[in-house]
Amino acid sequence: MLGALSLLLAIGGVAAAAESWWAQAARPYRGVTITGISESTPPSKYMQQVLAPAFEKETGIKVQFEVTSWDQMYDKEIKDMEAGTGVYDFVYIEQDIVYAYLARNFLVDLTEFMKTHPKLVEPELEIGDFTSFINYYKSAESGDIFGIPFESFLKVYVYRKDLFENPQIRSEFKAKYGRDLRPAVNFKEYEQIAEFFTDYGKRHNMQLWGTTVTAGPHPAAFYEMVETIWPSWGVYNWGINTQTWRATTANGGALDSPRAKEAFRWWVSLLKYAPPEATNSTWDEVAASMAAGRAAQGWVYGENVAWIATDASRSRVVGKIGVALPPLYPGVINEAAKGEGYIGYYDGGALGIPHSSRKKEAAFLFIQWVARKAVQGDFAAAGARIVRTSTFDDPKVKAIDPKVDHYFTLMKTAGPLFAGAPPFPFHATIREVMLPYILKGISGELSPEAALDQAAKAVDAELSRLGYGK
Amino acid sequence: MAVVSQGIRRERTAWGLLAPTLLILGFTGLLPFVYVLYVGFFDWNVFARVAQLTWAGVANYRQLVFDTDFLASLWRGIRFTLWAVAIEMVLGFALAHLLMKSFRGRGFFRAVHALPLTIAPIAVGATWRLMTLPGFGIVPYWLSRWGIDYNIGRDATQAFFTTVVMDVWHWTPFVTLTLLAGLNALPKEPFEQAQVDGAGPWYILRYLTLPLLRPVLLTALFLRIMDALRIVDEVWMLTGGGPGTATRYAGIHVWRVVFPKTDYGYGSAMSVLLLYFTIVLCWLLMTSITQARKEGAG
Repeated sequence: MLGALSLLLAIGGVAAAAESWWAQAARPYRGVTITGISESTPPSKYMQQVLAPAFEKETGIKVQFEVTSWDQMYDKEIKDMEAGTGVYDFVYIEQDIVYAYLARNFLVDLTEFMKTHPKLVEPELEIGDFTSFINYYKSAESGDIFGIPFESFLKVYVYRKDLFENPQIRSEFKAKYGRDLRPAVNFKEYEQIAEFFTDYGKRHNMQLWGTTVTAGPHPAAFYEMVETIWPSWGVYNWGINTQTWRATTANGGALDSPRAKEAFRWWVSLLKYAPPEATNSTWDEVAASMAAGRAAQGWVYGENVAWIATDASRSRVVGKIGVALPPLYPGVINEAAKGEGYIGYYDGGALGIPHSSRKKEAAFLFIQWVARKAVQGDFAAAGARIVRTSTFDDPKVKAIDPKVDHYFTLMKTAGPLFAGAPPFPFHATIREVMLPYILKGISGELSPEAALDQAAKAVDAELSRLGYGK
Repeated sequence: MAVVSQGIRRERTAWGLLAPTLLILGFTGLLPFVYVLYVGFFDWNVFARVAQLTWAGVANYRQLVFDTDFLASLWRGIRFTLWAVAIEMVLGFALAHLLMKSFRGRGFFRAVHALPLTIAPIAVGATWRLMTLPGFGIVPYWLSRWGIDYNIGRDATQAFFTTVVMDVWHWTPFVTLTLLAGLNALPKEPFEQAQVDGAGPWYILRYLTLPLLRPVLLTALFLRIMDALRIVDEVWMLTGGGPGTATRYAGIHVWRVVFPKTDYGYGSAMSVLLLYFTIVLCWLLMTSITQARKEGAG
């Protein structure tokens, strides 16, 4: 009898030991359904299609993971958190909107949460292993964390390596411009390359243009201007002075400055070298144009780099993609190195828990699951994103790095030269004020100069209305 | 006495039967409207320094009068409505008239013609976007063969008229079917009498069909005006309001102010004004038509 009992206990003990940390931690929440929302991007789809089902299997917690368009996502999650309805248990927090969410106390303080729920903290979570990108999710006052990053990437200069290295093309280019063809390091070079390949496409009856431009009637056009083009010209923080909270040069801002206008005019002028779909393109369509081999160069969000470079089922330029730092205005790289500026956009997102969630514990387990070390290699290969420093040394990342022209190495070494969006709590509001003027500049409804003059005044007025500055 | 109580009982039953509908209408129509009306008198931006509702009186409405962006979007919406509804009414009436005649394949044509009505507006917009996308779409492809450079991402006029054509494609069947029902319901005697008297088709149309069909015509017209003025989803999918702000009609403008900009107070004021404007427009139209009819009769 005693023997049988001890055998049963032993079996039970073995079973308990075999149960993973996740299964044990999730035991009180088994059968619970958590709901989350994210943007339809390669990393989010990977979470939805691969990581969430594995989490369900491991923990017994069901995950309803909604992946939708960028606009819809914000609309839904802000409304939910503002009204406190509790529809979502975890939400995507893009790096740029986090300051707005923090200002409204929408999110659960995860540092505090981990202190009060130590049994729910995965032993391998190691906040110190995350790249500096996690700093964007910390409160400026307390240093507490409000989101666990699952993606971060650079908006890099992508070019067609096969075209740039083609001897025939190189000699034609040299004959025309008197210099070697190489990835552009300044704006004149960029424009020459754009002009050359547009002409080359025409002459050879190819569907090829010199550059992509994200110029559709969508906030994506605004972001390309303020977070990609202007920083590379040395206009930072959307042209808003963060001391006076004003955008006009008369009030210390730079939105209507000669440099900002010159950059805007230059960017709009690229449209004549861009594929016809450029004025309908958001970031997704620009990636698609690049993948279809329709452009020789362009700025592409890093989350798309891996699939464009490696996925033959979706890309016609597999093995033909090169990545580099963007062209820059003289002196900008030095300012970036000193931390006084930045050369482009370091984008990404985290998962956070709204205060309105009623299943915070189960949600916290999921957002850790997504960030656990074991999956980071596959996740990076699928979405070209890295959030933990240890992932750079992951064998899978090292194996894929040469196939993406060492994008991951570029991310590791040049990452600090890029920066996220400025810490504006009024991010979405001011974006909507500036957007129509950017669009009017693109369409020619206003000249670039007039568009920025009017935009700067409108931003000043709105900031004043929102209670910022004098 | 018994008759009176029976009447009261009948009235109570009627109200009892109506109550669920009234309750639903109250919750889904009246309550949100009252709330929007209320919010319109406040400053309320989720990401303002003071994010709470702050009493603003009529400031939002005063600001609207000088808001050139809003007024421009309203004017664009009116132009869109005039074009789209005018074409839909003429085309719808012609098609309804055609479908009154007996011809081979009439049933098939009627079914096919009604198909766009079954498609959700967002899907209509998406389909038209695919068809018109420069570099990929079938429309620019065919037009380029005729030497026409068609790109609704660059050309404001092309974008505007493409939204009109899309709306005509989507909603003309509604006008057709409504008028078809109206034509079918018209009494036969006056037409037979007119034919006996030797009246020509134009005379019959001018003095019989149109006057008799007036209530149905007005119903279709007002419904289309109201719908066209508040259009959002189809145009949103097709052009996103662009190029620039060329197709940023009032509905799209309000959406961008209310949601992405989170300016709930001002956005509410805009919505109320847009509703008021729509009602006034329809009322003016109704009054002028009724007045003309009275004068005609006099």
